[in-house]
Amino acid sequence: MEELTNIPQLTKELFGINLVFNTETIFMTWVVVASLILFGYLATRKINFLPNPFQVVGELLVNAFYGLAEDALDEELAKKYFPMICSLFMFLLLCNWLGIIPKLSEPTKDLNTPLGLGIMGFFIAHYSGIKSKGLKAYAKEYFEPIFFMAPLNIIGELAKVVSISFRLFGNIMGGAIIILVVSHLVYSLILPPLLVCFFGLFIGTIQAFVFTMLTLVYISVQVR
Amino acid sequence: MFDATVFSSASFFVGAGLAIGFGAIGAALGEGYTAGIASEALSYRPESSGDVVKNMLVGQAIAESAAIFALVVAIVLLFSQPSSTSFLTCWAAIGAGLSMGLSAIGSGVGSGLPAGAACMSIVRQPGNSNKVITNMLIGSAVCQTPAIFGMVVAFLLLFVDFSNIPLYPGWAAMLGAGLATGLSAIGPGIGNGVTAMEAVSGVARQPETHADVTRTMLIGMSVAQSTVIYGFLVSLMLLFYKFEASSTLASSMQLLGAGFCSGFGGIGPGIGEGITAGYAVRWVSRRIESVGLLLRTMLVGMAVAESTGIYALIVSLLLIVVL
Repeated sequence: MEELTNIPQLTKELFGINLVFNTETIFMTWVVVASLILFGYLATRKINFLPNPFQVVGELLVNAFYGLAEDALDEELAKKYFPMICSLFMFLLLCNWLGIIPKLSEPTKDLNTPLGLGIMGFFIAHYSGIKSKGLKAYAKEYFEPIFFMAPLNIIGELAKVVSISFRLFGNIMGGAIIILVVSHLVYSLILPPLLVCFFGLFIGTIQAFVFTMLTLVYISVQVR
Repeated sequence: MFDATVFSSASFFVGAGLAIGFGAIGAALGEGYTAGIASEALSYRPESSGDVVKNMLVGQAIAESAAIFALVVAIVLLFSQPSSTSFLTCWAAIGAGLSMGLSAIGSGVGSGLPAGAACMSIVRQPGNSNKVITNMLIGSAVCQTPAIFGMVVAFLLLFVDFSNIPLYPGWAAMLGAGLATGLSAIGPGIGNGVTAMEAVSGVARQPETHADVTRTMLIGMSVAQSTVIYGFLVSLMLLFYKFEASSTLASSMQLLGAGFCSGFGGIGPGIGEGITAGYAVRWVSRRIESVGLLLRTMLVGMAVAESTGIYALIVSLLLIVVL
């Protein structure tokens, strides 16, 4: 079970600071990004009234997520934020599905990936809140219902980042751990593929969707 | 006779017993509820018994997966040899058992509820059974998340090398890590079940709203899981924070207290937020035109209900880091 705690790392010193790179995570993220770029190229190469298979998938995704963004935000903001929401979902979906290919591992299994995306969502939500309501009205919300609730309101906002990123990390990590342990117990016979289908495809899809929807909902709560 | 070898193998057996002993409670309750509702449903329309029994068995199989996680951890504990005879390994084994066993309670009870609602819905609205079953599968699977968190902590306790941690207060950190995730998983598991149950009944009544109902259900369930995530965070802090060796009782009790604090603190908000999300989902299905308003009100209400869980998190972090 050494795979569980063994994280390939590369340490570089730059201006007296030790920079640590999780090489496997970075490489797997590149794999995901490259396949997304390939998908985007294939889907938009020959846009036609009779679409090719990639264009069908792309149109489905764009339609579905534009509808969701329009439900949560109004039309103007939906046009602005929907590209981010849609690409966030596609990125997370491919990240979570990557583990079903042998020798590859999910970048979301490393806490740094979900935490980075969670912090990104946090800043986008608060930026859009300040922009749409103005700084004064935005700051006033922290002093409700009474002024001394401000520290707790701020901690509550920060806790959202913790919960959104640890939810994704824990689910993907948990799936990877149980697949590893059960494979050891049954000598990799019969059961592991079924578990990979459940945790990789099913839970992976649900968690990618949940992360995307929560990012969208946090934006919509700040905007209104 | 009292030596480290005897004590360490004994503690692995205790851990295995705790894991499957506590772990068996929830799944059995949830499956019993499902079977009860299925019997009731059958008595309305005996001719649909094939569909109902099939759905009941599928639902029960999913509800049982929390107990199966507990069984896996128990088997690993029974058959793994203690790698070192340090007393820390013993406490880690007991912590792993507590974490897995307690966290399986909520998920087992919770995922029985949507399965029961699905059995009833199939009898009442046989035409919508496909959408009902899809919704039940998604709901029950998401109900397992708290148990998955408990299992992650259990395996971390078993397989991470803690040899450079001092025994005092390290033993309390191991036990506290198990209790934090284990106890805090009970509430979200049950609460998620309530939400998924309402979603299944809602889809059965208004099948045309299934996309919005499923979306609201997923958002509600995942926000209700926040407290188990705080428990998970406290467990990770307890496992990987560098403590100074100290033989005073107070420093050990701080870490144990941190585990109890975020553990018990997670139970109430989990159930309460699950009920909030359940009502929101029910009314999304009945008044689809006000879905945006319902979603925002639900989120604000859940954030307020969660504040007690956040207080528990703050106190736990203070106990670990500051004091």
